[in-house]
Amino acid sequence: MFEGDKIHLLMVLIPALPLASTLIVAALGKFVLRERSHLPVIAAMAGSFVLSLLLLYEVHHRTLAAEAGANATTESAATETAPAGGASAITVARHGVEEVYTLWTWAAIDREYARGPENVDSTAAPTDVAGQEFNFIVDVTLRADPLTAIMLCVVTFVSTLVMIYAVGYMHDDPSYWRFFTYMSLFVFSMTMLVSASNFVMLYVFWEAVGVSSYLLVGFWFEKPSAVAAGKKAFLVNRVGDFGLAIAIFLIWVTYGTLNFHDTPAADNVPAVAGILGQLRLSTPELYVGGAVGLAICLCLLTGACGKSAQFPLHVWLPDAMEGPTPVSALMHAATMVTAGVYMIARCTPLFMASPQAQEAVAVVGGFTALFAALIAITQTDLKRVLAYSTISQLGYMFLGLGVGTVAGISAGMFHLFTHAFFKALLFLAAGSVMHAMGGVIDMRRIGGLRHLMPKTCWTFWFGALALSGVFPFAGFWSKDAIIASAGERGDAGSMLYTVLFWASLFTAFLTALYTFRGLFLTFYGRQRIAPEAGHHAHESPSVMTLPLAILAFCALLAGAVFDWHGMFAKFLGHTPSLAYSLVEATAPHGEHSHLGLAVLSTFVALSGVGLAAYLYLGDRKAVEGLTTWLSSPFGLKLYQLSYGKFFIDEIYQWTIVRPLLLLGNVFSWLDRTLVDGLVNVAGGLPPRVGALLRPLQMGLVPFYALVMMLGTLVLIGALFMWPTG
Amino acid sequence: MGEIDLLHGYLILGALLFGIGLVGFLARRNMIVMFLAAEMMLQGISVSLVAWGRFHNDWGGQMMVIFILTVAACEAAIALALILMLFHSSGRLDVAAWQHLRESNQQPFVDQELPEAQVDEQTWPELAPAGIEPEHSLDELVHRGHV
Repeated sequence: MFEGDKIHLLMVLIPALPLASTLIVAALGKFVLRERSHLPVIAAMAGSFVLSLLLLYEVHHRTLAAEAGANATTESAATETAPAGGASAITVARHGVEEVYTLWTWAAIDREYARGPENVDSTAAPTDVAGQEFNFIVDVTLRADPLTAIMLCVVTFVSTLVMIYAVGYMHDDPSYWRFFTYMSLFVFSMTMLVSASNFVMLYVFWEAVGVSSYLLVGFWFEKPSAVAAGKKAFLVNRVGDFGLAIAIFLIWVTYGTLNFHDTPAADNVPAVAGILGQLRLSTPELYVGGAVGLAICLCLLTGACGKSAQFPLHVWLPDAMEGPTPVSALMHAATMVTAGVYMIARCTPLFMASPQAQEAVAVVGGFTALFAALIAITQTDLKRVLAYSTISQLGYMFLGLGVGTVAGISAGMFHLFTHAFFKALLFLAAGSVMHAMGGVIDMRRIGGLRHLMPKTCWTFWFGALALSGVFPFAGFWSKDAIIASAGERGDAGSMLYTVLFWASLFTAFLTALYTFRGLFLTFYGRQRIAPEAGHHAHESPSVMTLPLAILAFCALLAGAVFDWHGMFAKFLGHTPSLAYSLVEATAPHGEHSHLGLAVLSTFVALSGVGLAAYLYLGDRKAVEGLTTWLSSPFGLKLYQLSYGKFFIDEIYQWTIVRPLLLLGNVFSWLDRTLVDGLVNVAGGLPPRVGALLRPLQMGLVPFYALVMMLGTLVLIGALFMWPTG
Repeated sequence: MGEIDLLHGYLILGALLFGIGLVGFLARRNMIVMFLAAEMMLQGISVSLVAWGRFHNDWGGQMMVIFILTVAACEAAIALALILMLFHSSGRLDVAAWQHLRESNQQPFVDQELPEAQVDEQTWPELAPAGIEPEHSLDELVHRGHV
């Protein structure tokens, strides 16, 4: 259906449309578009989504062709043609399907200036390029492969719905146009991030996503808490970004290139094997393991932890609730926190080379999942419950990626995919409640809203069931797959993964518990309406409930439909990073069903739901035992530990923020006294000298004439006295 | 009389004119007189320029003088107009009345009032009663009474 140029056009247009709408709304929003500012943005998002679907179709088409080709030709023949395929030719290569399109060269520094890897380990680079110094070239390069196509579809789909929802949610905001400008910029950054085909572009848009999130979290900058939350998000992300930057430097020193793709040989320039390119994938021994590889992977993990809010850098995400709710929905579902997961999945070959790093990913993920779930069960703010559930679910994704098998990685990505739908749904539903309650979302002050807001209630039901992983909702399929993949690694003899398996199963129970706790407290029980609601206390307008309904539909079906016969995993497996021998070797032998585990996890989820119903719907007297236990000193301590988020914020406050503040105060004092003192001395001198000369300016003309004459005499005298020659 | 003597004569004349003008300019506070003194300096320069031109057999000096005259005419028009305006606004021609361009924290220059010239009782020489007081000239009485 498509020629090469058309797929290139798609790849360019998908990020170009959000960029165009950003510029249009930024330029015209304030005075021309005003309350119509959403129109260009929604049009661009919907256009990008349609184009993403076309791209997905095209990439899928090629994976089918690749499968047919792989069956028809022998493997050796395919291997030979792969490197010759070139960067922008239509590549049906040995290792997955990829399409790379270079727009322009952003920076090109000759090897004389870019002292690259002088001591390239000969095992690090392919033999044809070993030992040479590379030119440092950064191209603006877009790529299309199954991973990118899936990410683009998710991002643009969720963005479109969130934008439509925001029309209702933000309708009376004075900075309506500013909101849509930032949102559009956010989506543009994310689409570029997943389309980038080298680490520099990845980093640039990684930062751009951070900047947009900063702008959006601090959108209501009149509120000091919003400003603080935006600053916190930005600063905590800096820590992670620092790790990513170090990782990129290490990669350049180790591999001599920052491109994901191969650069074919041209005149006088030998081929450069990209980090995730076909050349390197066909000989996986070229990936550097050992200390260097471990360092690279851990630095990458630090970056991913910052962006994807994993322990210990998770503290910014719950505070990011200060932004408008559509921002939270977008951030939690599609555009921000998924970046880290995407990046780890993209760099799978690097992680395969150092198994300890992979275990670190799994441990971070599994621990964060449990940790965040424990916090979520006692929070009283509905959005905060959802925020911790996002952290927990992201932990699941990391766990899946850390398992390091085909099943684990694709399950992690599949969880990202399904999570995007139901988490966006839950946030938008919470936003709908917040909209109706005049900004109040504290579950101690609202309740029993199911008759007041029936549509919001039933869509929240769908989201909650999906999040809890109840069959046949979306979350069941992906979460079950992650738990199963961890269990498989555990069965294969790894104690660590067995522990993680049980931990994740327990987390699934907690997930169901806190989700339904939120649902029951908000929508069931005695009807309580916050006084702030005023005349707003009614169901949200259809521009808000329609996206909810669509997302609810997706939350119901996305898992079952896309997991049909492992379709998602099979398609994702054609990503070059995942389609090479080391990963493929981990594929399960033969069809393997996890029926027992599926039953177990459904039982776990339902028991969580049941417990929540028992505790929060039933008779208060029935749970008296629990409440008295919680009032005992030990129980109260446990409760406070969870309610206080394990006091991570306080620990950071005392170990990092306060000492830094102290240091800052010292430097501030030094600056004010020492540096400013010097400057003041320098500034004070001219007036003093001026004061000495000031009496000369007495305003008397004859005096001026006299001085002028005397001056002339002095000059003439000097002329005579001057030694000539 | 040679060329060089002629030059010397004119240069001396020019220098004298310039010097008189300069002293006048510095010493007087009447704006019109100051202006006249400045003109006189200009003419002194003009005379020496013409003399040099004559000496070098060159028209440059004369040309310059024509320009000086033209500029002096313009300048005279402007200067007199300014002086007129200043006189209208203050009623004085004293240049010291205009000290507004001094630094803000400087005291203005104020003329010290000269003490009233004490006109001493005229003391006339004691003359012998036999003598007759000589006739005093009127001029001596008016201008040099106190001597």
